[in-house]
Amino acid sequence: MSEDMADHERIDFSKISFLVVEPNRLMGQMVRDVLQMLDVQYIDRARDFETAVNVLRMGRTDIMITEWALSQEKLGRNGMDIVHWVRNDGGSPNRMMPIVMMTANSEEEYVCRARDCGVSEFVAKPYTVNGFYTRLASAIARPRQFVRIGEYFGPDRRRRKVEYSGPERRIMAEAV
Amino acid sequence: MPPAQELRRKAVNFKKGFRLKLEPEEIKKLEAVVEKATDQFTVEVADKLRALRLALNDVANSQIGADQAMQAIRSISLEIKGMGGMFKYPLLTAFAKSLNDFTKDMGAPTPIQLDIIAAQIDALYVVMANRIQGSGSKVEMELLSALEEAARKYKHH
Repeated sequence: MSEDMADHERIDFSKISFLVVEPNRLMGQMVRDVLQMLDVQYIDRARDFETAVNVLRMGRTDIMITEWALSQEKLGRNGMDIVHWVRNDGGSPNRMMPIVMMTANSEEEYVCRARDCGVSEFVAKPYTVNGFYTRLASAIARPRQFVRIGEYFGPDRRRRKVEYSGPERRIMAEAV
Repeated sequence: MPPAQELRRKAVNFKKGFRLKLEPEEIKKLEAVVEKATDQFTVEVADKLRALRLALNDVANSQIGADQAMQAIRSISLEIKGMGGMFKYPLLTAFAKSLNDFTKDMGAPTPIQLDIIAAQIDALYVVMANRIQGSGSKVEMELLSALEEAARKYKHH
């Protein structure tokens, strides 16, 4: 697609069904309010792993936004476990679902761990609404290729396309 | 594996909806959603600060559930860290980050570690009591810097 055409692309959010997993009442409400301003009609909400997975099993979710740290009462499982479930569990209805991790665990170590778990986009809290929108739009309109390397299944973690003329080790790794 | 295109096919078009890059007016409208919640934010943080003090009290008195209380301190400080900057309180985020970093992976705190945690919670109270938006004055910046230094020094003591 030419750059000019891409400039004219629009996202009709009214057609997209969201799951927002956020234990903090106010922050969950903020995400919901922002999504509603974007004309989103379908928003499911969850505060913990079990509820989120139950919603996901219904198969109506197009895109998930999740916090890393979930409800205090249920410390056993966190947002990363949900990401892992979506990407790897046989019961997952859409293993290639776009997932936005939105978390106050914002240090580089967490960004890398989230990426290695298979999140599509990472939004560090506190965030700006424009920053959030940009990540969301990217997850929807610019989906990345998926790869399976060893135990990893998820979006291609390479952001930039770099010309490379050497052997394709990724394919070799898969063949082993 | 090619990217999944179902969502893109369903929602991306050339007629209806929001462009991939928002117009300044659209950004303002979205920002207004956040601004509208500022009062709720102050109430929410006040609740969180009370919960922090209670948890600190439980840890200090070595009551049953001190581990849970430490976990509560970590969890609440992380929530405040994520909220402050959104509502024009980046200093609150900075103090909460300092507290969260300090208590991360910490077992039963020593007396001096407890003092530092108490000082960090006091700093959060000061920010909210005085409605200090932005990065604060030189005094607050020096306080933050001193607390971070103390946290570095006593993290493992």
